[in-house]
Amino acid sequence: MAIQGIILLVIFVAVLAAFGYIVRLLYRLLRKGVDEDRFGQWAQRVNSVVVFVGAQARVLAQPAGIGHFLIFWGFIFITLGTIEHILGMIFPGFGFEQIFGTKATGALSWLQDVFGILVIGSIIVALFRRFILKPERLKIDDPKARREATLILGLIFVLILLMYGFRGTAILMDPGEVSRAAAPLSHYAARLMSGWGMNLPIANGIFAWIHHLIIFFFLIYIPFSKHIHILGAIPNVFFRNLGPMGTLSRMDFEDESAEKFGISEIQEFTWKQLLDLYACTECGRCQVACPAYLTEKPLSPFRVIHNLRGHLMDERKRLLSAGGDGDASPQIIPETVTEDELWACTTCGACMQECPPFIEHVQKIVDLRRFLVLTESRFPSEMQPVFKNMEVNYNPWALGYASRADWVGDMPVPLAAEKKSFDVLYWVGCAGSFDARGQDVSRAVVGLLQRAGVDFAILGTEEMCCGETARRMGNEYLAQTLIESNIETFKKYEFKMLVTACPHGLNSFRVEYPQFGYEIPVLHHSEFLLDLIRSGKLRADGIEKARGAYHDSCYLGRYNGIASQPRDILRHIPRLGLAEFPRREKRSFCCGAGGGRMWMEETLGTRINEARVEEFLGLGADHIFVACPFCMTMFEDGLKAKEREDIKVLDIAEILLAACKTNTDSP
Amino acid sequence: MKIITLLKRAPDTEARILINREGTGIQEEGVKFVISTYDEYAVEEGLRLKEKMGGDSKVTVVCVGPEEATEMIRTALAMGADDAVHICDPAIKESEPFITAAVLAKAIKDNGFDIIFCGKQAIDDDMAQVQSILAEMLDIPQVNVATSFEISESGDKAVLRRRIEGGDEKVETQLPVIISCEKGLNEPRYASLPGIMKAKKKEIRTKALADLGMADAQGEIRSKILKWLPIPKGGECKVVEGEDVPTAVKELVRLLREEAKAL
Repeated sequence: MAIQGIILLVIFVAVLAAFGYIVRLLYRLLRKGVDEDRFGQWAQRVNSVVVFVGAQARVLAQPAGIGHFLIFWGFIFITLGTIEHILGMIFPGFGFEQIFGTKATGALSWLQDVFGILVIGSIIVALFRRFILKPERLKIDDPKARREATLILGLIFVLILLMYGFRGTAILMDPGEVSRAAAPLSHYAARLMSGWGMNLPIANGIFAWIHHLIIFFFLIYIPFSKHIHILGAIPNVFFRNLGPMGTLSRMDFEDESAEKFGISEIQEFTWKQLLDLYACTECGRCQVACPAYLTEKPLSPFRVIHNLRGHLMDERKRLLSAGGDGDASPQIIPETVTEDELWACTTCGACMQECPPFIEHVQKIVDLRRFLVLTESRFPSEMQPVFKNMEVNYNPWALGYASRADWVGDMPVPLAAEKKSFDVLYWVGCAGSFDARGQDVSRAVVGLLQRAGVDFAILGTEEMCCGETARRMGNEYLAQTLIESNIETFKKYEFKMLVTACPHGLNSFRVEYPQFGYEIPVLHHSEFLLDLIRSGKLRADGIEKARGAYHDSCYLGRYNGIASQPRDILRHIPRLGLAEFPRREKRSFCCGAGGGRMWMEETLGTRINEARVEEFLGLGADHIFVACPFCMTMFEDGLKAKEREDIKVLDIAEILLAACKTNTDSP
Repeated sequence: MKIITLLKRAPDTEARILINREGTGIQEEGVKFVISTYDEYAVEEGLRLKEKMGGDSKVTVVCVGPEEATEMIRTALAMGADDAVHICDPAIKESEPFITAAVLAKAIKDNGFDIIFCGKQAIDDDMAQVQSILAEMLDIPQVNVATSFEISESGDKAVLRRRIEGGDEKVETQLPVIISCEKGLNEPRYASLPGIMKAKKKEIRTKALADLGMADAQGEIRSKILKWLPIPKGGECKVVEGEDVPTAVKELVRLLREEAKAL
């Protein structure tokens, strides 16, 4: 072993030891988090890694992702080559060829060579985007984060050049080193360098040494930079949430001596929530999908993650020291995450839909809200009457619960209390009961159910708020009170399914009530009405010619994947033309009302609903079709603000009923 | 400092109020009850004063009301009050200000007090008498409809503002004093969950009239409610629509003349 090899071996071992130490530190930090069960469903987990890491499915959702795909696979092939080269320098004569044979090694060499140039191309594009195009999604106000990104891109660029340098000089020294077929670009580099008159062995040594030292630097530097995602993203995809999107954890209120609820310190997150922090590389896809960010509010999902990771790293010594638990832990709010950021979130989930390594932003935001509401009783003042209304009158409006079924008027709507047993429990919801337009929708739904001869009932004044809004506002205690009361009421009656026109209720019953031990099939009215059309129980004969666009509610299209059904209903209506929002289905843009935002003032930035209305106005349509009472309100308000009240906002049930009414012979 | 806050259980402002068949009260079925709104300001101001004074200051909630009022008392305890006296006796059937004040006076004297906060009136019967009768019975000054409150450094005086027609009145008073609270005085807090949990263990001293040495409450009645009557239904409102103003006015005149017979 040459002296050079011994020095390299010593450095290599030292760096590997340091890297191992850092990885262990990161692992120990994760273990400081609370337990969370992300085990089981192994085949699906492996499959996730294949699809979302190997094939980079989410990364490739945007054109810029091609660059990442090339850098990712280039990194893998080139790293293998680098390992071979380092071992070859330490143990002269070592090569993969002896282990894997000529064919495989030749293929690897070719991949290294070809991906090298592709990586260079990708880096140039990336630098061009970062410094010339400056797209909104790469914007971050932390200069350290920007420096990091530039440093890493620059170093990768240099690394590839150096790789061609040492591969090319090796070819010049020994033309038999690697065939032209297995290393076309290195041979090209060799030809270029042949005229430079370098001392080949020295040049080769310098190229290789600088290259390897940069790699060693990376190993130490990366875990403390945003490129920690190289370590975090793959396990994060592996341990991703395989269940329904954005499901909130059920809090336990058994311990009556507890002084604290919700999360205010970093180690109170679960290990998976902390792993999320390692997985973010600040690509900013969440940022440009976030309705709060896009309307100039102080929230950017990835900045929350970025700041939480910074906080976790700052706290690592305290967290890992043996007696560290006794120290006063620094609070996350407001130094790391501000209250304004937390309350700006509509919980629309667009960030989670976009995130390539499946970071779950919304649950963290709600966990922090829980602390503010439950422990500190600190929240925007307009939320207090909402909570009180829900406590006293079981609805967020300041309206007496006894008037919950007043919308029925003269319609013969059967009550569950009278019928006891029926097929469908129509869940009217708070908006359907108290909001004037919501009531119109409820009457339309009832009209359709009666037309189709459905055996249904409503709960009337027994119905209480489903708890969804309170839950997402962080008031888990109030939410659980409502959830438990509703479950008690459900259990009194015999019915086959719940049907509701409110996506928030739908998500709550379908996904969250099972946490409290109650499961029943739950259908959104769009699903149920479409079934009625398909089975011939409803027939839409048409309306006067109109052109409309359907807006996907977040809790319908994104959270529950219900996007085709409402559109199919509209397609069944003759003479109705359909336009489409550019942002739609799973990637729809929030109306601004989710996460309790419906009940809060929107004082920061511009208004989300107006942004969405502007998007609609570009379509040249005259109707907005919605399938959510909150979206209805937000659109009507937005149209008022834009003085475009000539545009009608209709629930799909309303337009369907209007279309059915044109035929007088039943159905 | 011994801080007393008075509290009444009253129907929610959104509740649909119907008089019972006998005309002796309201139909309680389907009616939700809450802390009478102005009493919430009283509780909040009591808590703020306690936080300011520190030391062994204590907020005691005193409530005259039925058993069900425990729920409202617990809410005040969850907000942060330290303990409560609940005078609950079937003999106190209806809300009569003199009896209520007499009972409160006795309970408050037994407890000891430096300052008393209460709502400017109950949101159900709107009598606004208890604080004044109570002030006389305890022989202390009263300041009504306070919209701001500030205690002096020494803690024996307070400066208040009262919103009156066209302006504010600034008042200084000695302690002990009874203060009735108006909207705007503060924003009552929302009980935190640890507060709610703690409230379950706080002491509510439930007392019957006999415990206060007041066996014969009926003798104190000075006024009597004879009957509760529903509000007579108002006339119906009609919106006159017309293509333009002159036609609408013509139609209005016609309706006033022919239907309303007002012209």
